[in-house]
Amino acid sequence: MPPRVQALVAPLKLLAPALVPSWNFFDVIAPAPRVEYALLASPGDTGGIWRVFRPRPERVSLARMARRLLWNPRWNQSLFVMSCAERLAEDRTPEHSETELFRRIAADLAAEPADATRPWLCFRLVFVHREGEALTEEVMVQPAPRRLAEIDIR
Amino acid sequence: MSLELARRLVEILLALALIQQSLEHLRGFRDERILFGARIGLAILVLAGVAGPWPLVGLAGLSLLILHRFQGPYNGGSDRMGLLILWCLTLSRLSPTPMLAELAFGYLGAQLTLSYFISGWVKVVNPDWRSGRALRDVFQFSAYPVAEGLRAFADRPRLLRAMSWGVMGFELAFPLTLLWTPALVAGLVVAGTFHLANACLFGLNRFFWTWLSAYPAILWLQGRIF
Repeated sequence: MPPRVQALVAPLKLLAPALVPSWNFFDVIAPAPRVEYALLASPGDTGGIWRVFRPRPERVSLARMARRLLWNPRWNQSLFVMSCAERLAEDRTPEHSETELFRRIAADLAAEPADATRPWLCFRLVFVHREGEALTEEVMVQPAPRRLAEIDIR
Repeated sequence: MSLELARRLVEILLALALIQQSLEHLRGFRDERILFGARIGLAILVLAGVAGPWPLVGLAGLSLLILHRFQGPYNGGSDRMGLLILWCLTLSRLSPTPMLAELAFGYLGAQLTLSYFISGWVKVVNPDWRSGRALRDVFQFSAYPVAEGLRAFADRPRLLRAMSWGVMGFELAFPLTLLWTPALVAGLVVAGTFHLANACLFGLNRFFWTWLSAYPAILWLQGRIF
């Protein structure tokens, strides 16, 4: 298919599952992705400390739940990050998903004091699933680190 | 309920839902702010009932750009339902004959019914859902619970089994509510409460507003058929 036609058809392909939906919500409980990131001194540095991206709070009050009915940008963005993690693990839109994950993590890090000794950002996707009664974790994706300063967060 | 009234109600509710979602994106990256700023403008025109149906057409066109931006829906099922509502409404408004207008809008009502029934069916054929294990997994390790404290629900298997059967039973029985208007209204109240619980426990606020905005379509369809 010529690239121009492909560009026109691509959004319609994305629209089709919305117009003819499958409605198979939660039919199976798939392994759950957790995004972890680390700041590194160099691309080959293995001494970075892995941190969970946006860990959940221990509790959320009823008042806060009510507020989130109308204003919930951070959580909805976290759900999008989970979608990107799943897409990346399944090799669907891998470049787009990887870039989105780097950008979202870098945007959060921009609010923290910069660590000049660790200018490289790396992330990994840890998938949690159940085997029998035990929960197991598996690192499924760990892309090459990117220089934090070069990630576009505008 | 007349077709015109039902479509207008869906338009108003959808426009409000889109404005709510779009405001959240104004905190995002620059390209998101541009796309969702435009969506707010068009949704306000729909809300005001100005220049119809062109703001709807604009929103439908913009939805393709947004799909391209995120390479799919931003928030899975809720965004897909929003797209379905938007495109059914737009096609209904642009339809050259009343029959085609009814078909496009009726399709939305039918899909809303299927959204509950099929969700119930795919669960009830899964042994993990019938035993309550699947819902236990949702609380134990899925990405959805909004607080770590909610994971303690995983330690209450009897409650989760009862909840699983409650959800599956309701979803499977939903099409029967179409037989009688008061039953449908009661069914929609239960369904709305279900979405509200999902919004509180799993942070799925978009599902609540999006599904709610399609309810006039099913109320109209029920009156049209029965």
